[in-house]
Amino acid sequence: MKGTFSWKWAVLALSIAALMSVGCAKKQTVKSEGTEAPPSASAPAPITEAPMKEPPPPMATAPAMPPAAAPGVAVTEEKMSQFDDVRFDFDKSEVKPDGRKTCGVVADYLKSHPQAKMQIEGHCDDRGTAEYNMALGERRATAVMNYLVSLGVPKAALSTVSFGKEKPLDPGHNEEAWGKNRRAHFVLK
Amino acid sequence: MSTALRSVGLLDVVSTTPPGPSGRAPCIHARLHRLATNLGEKCGLGAAAVAFLLALSLFPSRAHSLLYIDINAPGGKRMPIAVADFVAGPGDPSLSRAIPTILSADLVLTDLFDLVPPTAHMETVTAAHFSGMPLSFPGWKMIGAEAVVIGKVETRGDRLSIEMRLYDATQGTLLLGKRYTGTPGQLRSIVHRFANEIVYTFTGVRGVFGTEIAFTARSGKSRGKELYIVGMDGQDLRKVTGNLSYNLFPRWSPDGQWLAYTSFRTGVPVVFLRNVLTGAEKEVIRFGGSKAPGGFSPDGVWLYAGVSQAGNSDIYRVRVVGGALERIVEGWGLEVSPSPSPDGRQIAFVSDRGGSPQIYVKTIGVAGETRISNGAGYATSPSWSPAGDRIAYTARSGGRFIVATVAPDGSGYREVASVTDGDCEDPSFSPDGRSMVYTYRKRDYSALIVISTDGRRQRTLVSGLRDVGSPAWSPGR
Repeated sequence: MKGTFSWKWAVLALSIAALMSVGCAKKQTVKSEGTEAPPSASAPAPITEAPMKEPPPPMATAPAMPPAAAPGVAVTEEKMSQFDDVRFDFDKSEVKPDGRKTCGVVADYLKSHPQAKMQIEGHCDDRGTAEYNMALGERRATAVMNYLVSLGVPKAALSTVSFGKEKPLDPGHNEEAWGKNRRAHFVLK
Repeated sequence: MSTALRSVGLLDVVSTTPPGPSGRAPCIHARLHRLATNLGEKCGLGAAAVAFLLALSLFPSRAHSLLYIDINAPGGKRMPIAVADFVAGPGDPSLSRAIPTILSADLVLTDLFDLVPPTAHMETVTAAHFSGMPLSFPGWKMIGAEAVVIGKVETRGDRLSIEMRLYDATQGTLLLGKRYTGTPGQLRSIVHRFANEIVYTFTGVRGVFGTEIAFTARSGKSRGKELYIVGMDGQDLRKVTGNLSYNLFPRWSPDGQWLAYTSFRTGVPVVFLRNVLTGAEKEVIRFGGSKAPGGFSPDGVWLYAGVSQAGNSDIYRVRVVGGALERIVEGWGLEVSPSPSPDGRQIAFVSDRGGSPQIYVKTIGVAGETRISNGAGYATSPSWSPAGDRIAYTARSGGRFIVATVAPDGSGYREVASVTDGDCEDPSFSPDGRSMVYTYRKRDYSALIVISTDGRRQRTLVSGLRDVGSPAWSPGR
C-alpha cells in the first residue's frame, strides 16, 4: 500500500503543476452550508433539482381541490330501480331478447311519464382491463339508450354513464356474478 | 416526484454528468473524464484529486482495472460489494447501521450486486478515513469485496448530513464521493440517490431508486377508488386522493410532477391533472362520456386519452396547456388505452374493430394502423418500453390474463408474467426498462408485482389493499 501511495503523490505533484496551467478556472467551490448552491458557469451538467423547503404555492389556474363532493360519493352507491337490469354477454353490447322486453317496459313508463328523466348506467364484469371496460360500459349504456329511442322515447329524456368494472353488483368471481355485473342499470333522475 | 426527493439539499453534486443519450455505458475515456470531473468537487479533495485523476487518465492501461457490469448479459456475474457501517457523528447512532441497510436493500434489488455480509467485515471505518487515512483495501478484497461503500452521517437539529464514498477495492481508487444535506425525513431519498449513482458508475444506466408507482385501490370500506403512490422499493405508501368517489387510470407527466387521471368526484367522469407535490388540480377533458388518459407525449405537450362519444370510444389528444382537442384514431370499434412511443412519433392502442380487443400501432399524422397482437382472444393495456423496442400488454392465454411483450412490428412475442391460478394484467415499464410492474389478481386477492423484463425475478410491491390496479411507473428521477 505504501508504495502505491507514494507513487500517487508523485503523480499528484506533477499533475497539480499541469492543472495550474490549464485548469485553474475549473476550481470548484464546495458550499458547506445553505441549499442554493448554483453551479458555476463552467460546471458541467449539474443536477437541476432545485432544493425546496416547502411545496410551491398552487398555480393560479388551479384552485385547491374542493372537499369531497356529494355527487362524487353518490355515484358509488347502488341506486334502487323499479326496472330490471339489461344483461349482456361477455365483451358484448347487443341488447338480447330479455333485455328488449325490459326496454319495452321502460319505454312504456317513460312515454307515460313525459317529465321523467332516465339515466342508463353501463357496467362490466371484473375481468379484463379497466380502461377497456370503461368504454365497453359506455357502449352498453348507449346500446340500450338507442334501443329505447327506437321504441319512441325522446332522446332528451335519456342519458348514459359508464362505471366500467368499478361498481360490481355482485362481488363474486364466478359465471353467476359476472352475468349479473354485465348490465345496464336504469336510474330515474 | 415526492416532496422529500425534491427537497434534498445538495452540497457537492454540482458536477454530476447525466447518463449518455443512448443509455449505454460511456466509453472508458469518457468514464475516466467523468470520474475526474466528479471527483474534483468531492469530499474536500478539491484540486488535488482532480489533478490525480487527470494524471490517471494519462495512463490508459489503468483503465482496464475499472469495474464494470454488463447489464445486457443475462445471468451475468454480480459484483461483490461491501457497505460498511457508517460513521455516526452527532445525532442518532442507529443510523450507523440503518443507512447501510437501506443502501444494501437498494443494491440487492438491482440484481447486479452481491452484498458481502456485515458480519464478515474486518475493518471498522472511522472519521479518519474521511480525512486522508486509506482503507485497508487488501482486507476488503480478502473478504471478497470488489467495491466498498463507506459513509458518515450526522444530524444537527433538523439538519441531516450524509457523506458517502464508493471505492474500487481491487485498485484502491475512489470511484464516487458525494455529500448530501437535507432534513431527517429525506434520509431515504438521499440514500436512493446515491444508490442510483453507484448503479450508474458501474453500468452507465441510471438506477431507478426514488421512482414511484401510482395506482388505484379501494380505501377502507369505501366503494370508491382512490389514487395511491408507493416507492419502487415498496416504502412510503400514501393515498393521493380522498374523495370516496372513483379516481382511476393515473398517468405520469414526463417531468414526474403531474398525474393525469379520471375522477367521478363531480358526479360525471372528468380527466384532471393533479400536481403530486401541491395537490393543485386542473380539469383537462370534460368532453364526451367515458374517458381514460393513456399517456403523455414525451415532450409533455399532449395528453393522449380514449374518450367515448355516442357510445363509441376514439383516441384523442389534448394540449395540456390550452386544452385544444384533436382526434387521432377513429372507427366504429372501441379505441382506448393510447401509449405513446418514447420518440413521440407513434402510439400503441387497443381497438376491438376486428371483433375482439387487440393492440394496434399508429404513426401520428400517417394514415393506417397496424395490428401487432395475434388477433385472437383479448389483448389490452399496451405500455411502450423506454427504449422503444418492446410493447408490453395484457394478453389472454388458457382462460387467464397474462403479461406479454412484443416488438413494435408485432414480431418476437414473449410471455413475461403468467400464473395458473390467477391473472397478471396492466404492465408498466420502469424508466430504465429493466423491470415492469403489473397487477396480480386471484379472486379477492390483488397485489402489485415488480418483475424483471426477462421474467426471471419478481417481488411483491403492494399487497393488503383492496382491488389494486392500473399501476403506472413514474419517470426517472
